[in-house]
Amino acid sequence: MSPAALVHSLAVGLVTGSFYAFLALAFALVLAITRVLNLAHGELVVLGGYIGYSLWKAWGLPPLLLVPLAALASLPLGAIWRGLLGRVREPVELNSLVLTFGLGLLLQNLMLGVWAGDYRLIAGDAAPPLALGGIALPRGRLLVAAISLGTVGALHLVLTRTRWGTALRATSLDPEAAGLMGINTDRASLTSFLLAAAIAGGGGVLFATFHYLHPAAGVELTLLAIALSILGGVGRLSGLLLGGLLIGVVEALALTWAGPEWRELVVAAIVLLLLLLRSRGLVAGRGH
Amino acid sequence: MADPGGGGGLGKERRRSPQGGPVSRLGVGGLLLAVIFPFLAGFHPYYLYLLGTGFLLASLASAWGLLAYAGQISFGHAAFFGVGAYTTALLALELGVTPWLGILIAGGAGALAALPIGAAAHLLRGAYLALGSLAYAELLRVLALNWTGLTGGGAGLIGLPGLHLGGELEFARERAGGYYLSLAVLLLALAVFALLRRSRVGLAWAAIREREERAQLLGVSPTRYKLLAFACSGALAGLVGALYAHAVRFIEPDLVFGRYFSILPLIMATFGGLHTLLGPPAGALVLYLVSELLFHPLLPRLHQLPYALALIGVVFFLPRGLAGLLGRR
Amino acid sequence: MALLEGRGVRKRYGGHEALRGVEFAIEERQLVALIGPNGSGKTTLFQIVSGLVRPTAGEVRLRGARITGRTPRAIARLGVGRTFQIARPFPGLTVLDNVLVGVTFGRDSGLGPAARRREALGVLELVGLGDRAAALASQLSLGQLKRLELALALAPRPSLLLLDELTSGLPPGGREEVIAFYARLRERGVTLFAIEHAFRPLLRYADRVLVLDRGELIADGPPAEVMASPRVALAYLGEEE
Repeated sequence: MSPAALVHSLAVGLVTGSFYAFLALAFALVLAITRVLNLAHGELVVLGGYIGYSLWKAWGLPPLLLVPLAALASLPLGAIWRGLLGRVREPVELNSLVLTFGLGLLLQNLMLGVWAGDYRLIAGDAAPPLALGGIALPRGRLLVAAISLGTVGALHLVLTRTRWGTALRATSLDPEAAGLMGINTDRASLTSFLLAAAIAGGGGVLFATFHYLHPAAGVELTLLAIALSILGGVGRLSGLLLGGLLIGVVEALALTWAGPEWRELVVAAIVLLLLLLRSRGLVAGRGH
Repeated sequence: MADPGGGGGLGKERRRSPQGGPVSRLGVGGLLLAVIFPFLAGFHPYYLYLLGTGFLLASLASAWGLLAYAGQISFGHAAFFGVGAYTTALLALELGVTPWLGILIAGGAGALAALPIGAAAHLLRGAYLALGSLAYAELLRVLALNWTGLTGGGAGLIGLPGLHLGGELEFARERAGGYYLSLAVLLLALAVFALLRRSRVGLAWAAIREREERAQLLGVSPTRYKLLAFACSGALAGLVGALYAHAVRFIEPDLVFGRYFSILPLIMATFGGLHTLLGPPAGALVLYLVSELLFHPLLPRLHQLPYALALIGVVFFLPRGLAGLLGRR
Repeated sequence: MALLEGRGVRKRYGGHEALRGVEFAIEERQLVALIGPNGSGKTTLFQIVSGLVRPTAGEVRLRGARITGRTPRAIARLGVGRTFQIARPFPGLTVLDNVLVGVTFGRDSGLGPAARRREALGVLELVGLGDRAAALASQLSLGQLKRLELALALAPRPSLLLLDELTSGLPPGGREEVIAFYARLRERGVTLFAIEHAFRPLLRYADRVLVLDRGELIADGPPAEVMASPRVALAYLGEEE
């Protein structure tokens, strides 16, 4: 591979990786604060994309407007998820996996019913790629990366600088202790689900601007989110971001070498590898 | 859902066969009914096809239940199902192997496919294993999708031969051959499970499921028995996959390696009663028939709803599944 | 040769030293008491002997052969049985099946299924659970659970039994019964290494007493001698019983 191609791969990887981290937030937040493993994560993202797509088709709204709209539209789903998953018995991790697995399938079929199996895309405008330091990157992707990093950064500030955010972090570290300190863990739980739904929904719109939507596209995203959560460590934003960038780069390099159709395989293989390494204690993370 | 990794109260009747309780009478009655059903239904092809498929799904659920009995919860059974389907398909199309032999070999292939994830079970527990099995199935799906040279890629494989026994053993034809074949496979799956349950192997599996560490301290080798459980479950699932391939005569990666065949046995077995013998197949038949007979004609878009509802129901209301309702512990 | 030997056993958890170079030797057919104030490292020592925890340094030998580093299963099959402070049976299995696990897999007995069943029933009779064979382990009372713990440990016919506070939570009468049972087991040739917090009943039967205090072995000898030691009295200052 030529140096130019390598650098290009790296750049693409970083850009994509930041988006992966952003998407994975929706999954990681819920996991950290409620211990729920939401296997329907990918479907929630894709659904957000479909909602954005329909709005775009109907009223031609620009993506920047579609993002918050889809995020808003996804909030009720977050509440529903919270309602269902709040009642799951021990072991929470395994039972939430089962329940959300089914919910994900349900969503997948709903989407199939409403939008059919055709591949859809929210087409961006045909602006030329932006050249940054000699590397040409598509504008749309850069915008996505910017929004991703911006949101991650904003969330970091909220989590560390506000009382509300600190309450969330305390709940993620030790719900019992947090409860004893007067933090309303139920509200924290609901907040995490709502926030996650909004991120998933809005992120879905961004996803749909450069990736074809189809009902089964969610599985890969869920696997990615799982990989990042394991890699970055549950409850660590910086870890998530770094993990996202790492996977983005690894994926980009693998793709240049092997070809784009192998992307999903790379993701699945990475997840397996991380799971095995994690259980040997080689990867960062809270024991849970 | 009853905690399958620990304190579920369903390992009990391991030694003794159902002592003429309501379930065993139900089982025998069900078997008799199944045998005479084609006559009752006047050999109507749709009903034979329906129940034949139901028996196949029940076999798959039973295979999944066997693995769950050993405490291993798989979210990726489609991996073994798909390997079975593709093995027999490729053998038939490339080498002209007769489907009967192909199906047997597919069982072996399913067992082999189960070994890597079975070995991973040494390291992965509970949710981690669930996720790992999910990723594994996904891995195989993408492999099948992209290894076009071997598998025909996304277009799948068409024109698979049906099963012949003298005449055509069509799954939808009057001769009901396919129906009885599916029933036979189900009985085979149940027989294998029943025999293993009563043996040393079943005791080891139950011990691992109930408390793996203690089982180790009492001399049980979890690695060995988990591998065995995965191999058995994978073999049965592969068998069913192969049968499915020759029944519908067309397979593609997104279908046979997809989430549908991973989640169905999970829901069916859990709904029917985890850790019991007859629970998984019963759950499978009930859910499948409800979905096909009630929902499909009335609300076709939502015909997967009973599965989702069953899942929610089990998680919240029926931790022991149907078997629990009948008082089987 | 001693049945069980510990040489320089050390265990450190982060900054905390749970065991500091413990040395001991236990002869066959002895009933040895392991006592000490809370947190002195008694259970940690058991964890290391049974192979569930690796020591930071030092080793344990069974009949002269090193067992440190071997898997818990291998060590168990060499004849080391173990009970746990909080009973850990197989909840969803019957009492009989619980014991059957150890009988079937704990050693290569070469027995057929019927013979194994009889043996399992025999163990249950021994601990007084014969009439509860068909009950689920999850349905037992505390006292019965303790008996089951013992039965589980005895099922593979171990030559060495590690008993971790089996009498805790039992009324005084119950404690006496359990300790007397230990003595009976000793008559049958089993070597017993028992942790007891309420140790007075145990001292009457014990051949030797080992005292741990904050990870250090501060006494090792016959009961009378050990209990007269001022060092031991000091360790227990402020502790109940």
